[in-house]
Amino acid sequence: MASSAASLLRLCLRPSRQLPRLRAAATRQATTTHRTFSTTRWRRAPPEDEAGDEEGAEKIVEHDPSHRNPGEYFKAFLEDESINAEERAAATRALKDWERLPPSEMRDFEKLLTSLDEDASWLRKNEVAKRDSFWNEDEADPDLITDELGEDDFEEDDILAMGHAKLEEHREMREYARLAVWELPLLSKLAKPFQPPVDGEILRFRYTSYMGEFHASDRKVVVEFCPADVPDLSEAQQLKLKKLAGPRYNPEKEIIKISCERFEHQAQNKRYLGDLVDKMIATAKDPTDMFEDIPLDTRHHKFKKQIKFPKEWYLTQERKQQLAAQRQQALLLDDAKREKGAMVDGMQTIQEALAAARAAAVEVPVPVAKPLGRGRR
Amino acid sequence: MPAPNCLRCLARPPPGLATPVPRTAAAASPLLNRPAATPIGTRTRAHAAPFSTTPAPAGPPVKPATPVGSGGHNRVGKKLKLGKFKTDRAAERSKVPLPGERKAYRKRITLSNDNALPVPWLADLTPSSLADPANTATVMGLPDSLQDQLRASDAFKPSQSWGMFRKPAVLVRKETVDLVNRMQDAADKKQTLRLVVTGDKVTGKSMLLLQAMAHAYLNNWIVIHLPEGQDLTTACTEYSPLADTDPVQYSQPVYVFKLIQAIKKANENLLSKMYTAVGHPGLPQSITANTSLLTLANVAKEPDAAWPVFRALWHELTHRSVARPPILFTLDGLSHITRVSDYRSPAFELIHSYDLALLRLFTDGLGGSLRLPWGGAVLAATSRSNAPRSPSMELALAQREAEQLQREVPKKDPFFRGYDERAEASLRSVQVLPVGGIDKVEARGLMEYWAASGMLRATVDNKSVSEKWTLAGNGVLGEMERASLLTMRV
Repeated sequence: MASSAASLLRLCLRPSRQLPRLRAAATRQATTTHRTFSTTRWRRAPPEDEAGDEEGAEKIVEHDPSHRNPGEYFKAFLEDESINAEERAAATRALKDWERLPPSEMRDFEKLLTSLDEDASWLRKNEVAKRDSFWNEDEADPDLITDELGEDDFEEDDILAMGHAKLEEHREMREYARLAVWELPLLSKLAKPFQPPVDGEILRFRYTSYMGEFHASDRKVVVEFCPADVPDLSEAQQLKLKKLAGPRYNPEKEIIKISCERFEHQAQNKRYLGDLVDKMIATAKDPTDMFEDIPLDTRHHKFKKQIKFPKEWYLTQERKQQLAAQRQQALLLDDAKREKGAMVDGMQTIQEALAAARAAAVEVPVPVAKPLGRGRR
Repeated sequence: MPAPNCLRCLARPPPGLATPVPRTAAAASPLLNRPAATPIGTRTRAHAAPFSTTPAPAGPPVKPATPVGSGGHNRVGKKLKLGKFKTDRAAERSKVPLPGERKAYRKRITLSNDNALPVPWLADLTPSSLADPANTATVMGLPDSLQDQLRASDAFKPSQSWGMFRKPAVLVRKETVDLVNRMQDAADKKQTLRLVVTGDKVTGKSMLLLQAMAHAYLNNWIVIHLPEGQDLTTACTEYSPLADTDPVQYSQPVYVFKLIQAIKKANENLLSKMYTAVGHPGLPQSITANTSLLTLANVAKEPDAAWPVFRALWHELTHRSVARPPILFTLDGLSHITRVSDYRSPAFELIHSYDLALLRLFTDGLGGSLRLPWGGAVLAATSRSNAPRSPSMELALAQREAEQLQREVPKKDPFFRGYDERAEASLRSVQVLPVGGIDKVEARGLMEYWAASGMLRATVDNKSVSEKWTLAGNGVLGEMERASLLTMRV
């Protein structure tokens, strides 16, 4: 009897070959595009069919292992203060019915409950992937279009789960295509013309939006400002502000840049940054310690040298003429030297020296040659 | 005939005996009583020898003449002999160079080449020729006596290509004329020129120093040259603390001894004509007033007396009461001395180079705290090829150069730790002479000299000069040499 009950339960819990619930929810979400454009993260509303009035019923279905039989359960229920008189009467009646049962039937019931618990325990257990399994094969793959549960059981009454998933994919793509054609152009109505910041607006904030998708840095806010733009700051105070900013100061652009993603919402982060800048300015104005003994630290910044092609190097018409004249002059000088015989030629010098040595050797056979003046060692 | 072994030796166990004596036997005989606890790692054999600091001889341990425990039954059979057909390699090998021979070969200085052609128009340097702007871009020879003097003071370097030409000769550059005129001006006004020659690699900084020395020798200056800053600071010469100095200074007796020899040899003529103004009784040989300075220098017969003699010599050369010639004090390789040296004090702390007495004298001269009453110059040249990083020197030179050109002076990095304040202080008021490439006129003069010596087999015309000048990175001298002289392509 107990085994038949367990197999019945298993049958009920078998996955349907239809789409899983989560996937259905995702498609439903994509169609709800009636919200206005916003940078804050959306959250799902609680499902309507699980409203509060059925909580009591849910509680009855709920399995609490601390109650061994219906008697115990009803006793616990009657102790609750929040129930109304009608419920109390019904519960009292049910408790009396239970107590009228013979003890053997009570025991049978308890036995049945125990066997059900044991048989269904694998369903309740959290499935944890084995860590060092071969190719992580026990791990669920979130990238697949189906959840791969029981999809091989085919009963010839429907297409396969994979087929359902493919169809769903097509529907989704069409949905987005429709959105792109019909609704995205409407966004241009909301566009605002760019207005450059006016004198008082010294802070420049940057936000990041991932188009409603959840992302770790969608709450991040960055503020940039130039210490020289802050009103009523003397030179010394500006310098102190730069020193306070530390590595957040860029000495090349002269800009302080601070970011914050500490809090959950963008607005909170932005508020924090605003407060921080106020605090920094107030500290910079505080004359008790002006950090005069600390030089401005720029070790965090690598200065990039801007290399420009020198103006003098451009080959302008004038420059070309100048160069040509110089070359002409040099050639003329060379020619003049050549005419005078003052041009030095290494090869010629060597030939002449060798010829002279040979001639000397021929003229005076013994001793061999008048040696050239020997240099110092 | 005395017995080969004395009786006491016979009483000891033989040194090769490795078998430990049984404890019972050790206890029984007081002669062989040894401590029971032996240090780990020592062999039993070591106990026989007394404690000694000399290392054990290398090679296989000496075998006892007769095997230990040899009985009558031990046969000496046929032994395996490996490599019996090999000839003796050691006999074939040629003679190994003696210690120091290789270095001497590496560091030798050849000043002439008999195969090079003599250049007919090469004029020798005269006392005024280096100061004459008309000589710019000409190559001039070094007279024989000057060669001896420069060689004595180690002015020539093995890396310079003196050995390619018939006779050593130098190119007179614009910088040469500039430097020599500054030196001469300072000497005429009895002032001290304090200058650092700096520039890129192989641009001719050491050569400029040599030219300054040549000018000084030709004009009868006293020249003291420290050829390498490295020799004094890398802890390769002996040092000893000087008494009565606080903070302690260190003299380098052997180096100073050799320096005195060099000074004596190079400036012999001048020193023999100068006489001491005061007596120097503290030296190993008491020197009275009116003795020649050469005699004073000769007192340094050994390194121990070198530093006091050098002090006395310096005192005499800078004495105000007697007329003395100007002094040129030079050093090459400045970045080696503008930092902490490799020497250690008795407390094992590193000694700053400025605490070495000889270098202290030089840097005082360079920094301006030491005046030369009869004028002269203190010159230093940086080196770029063998130079440790010396950030303070680099910064100070860059600052002085910017000040001279009235540009924006570079600032000290406030967050950098490697600066040396003493080095900065000594370089706070020096002049800087930046040396760069030569111009094309100078390049032409040089190349004509090369061609006339038969070392450059090309016509020296505008084209070839421009080519080499450009190849050499706008006329860097060493690069020009590499491009045209030291290449195998002819």
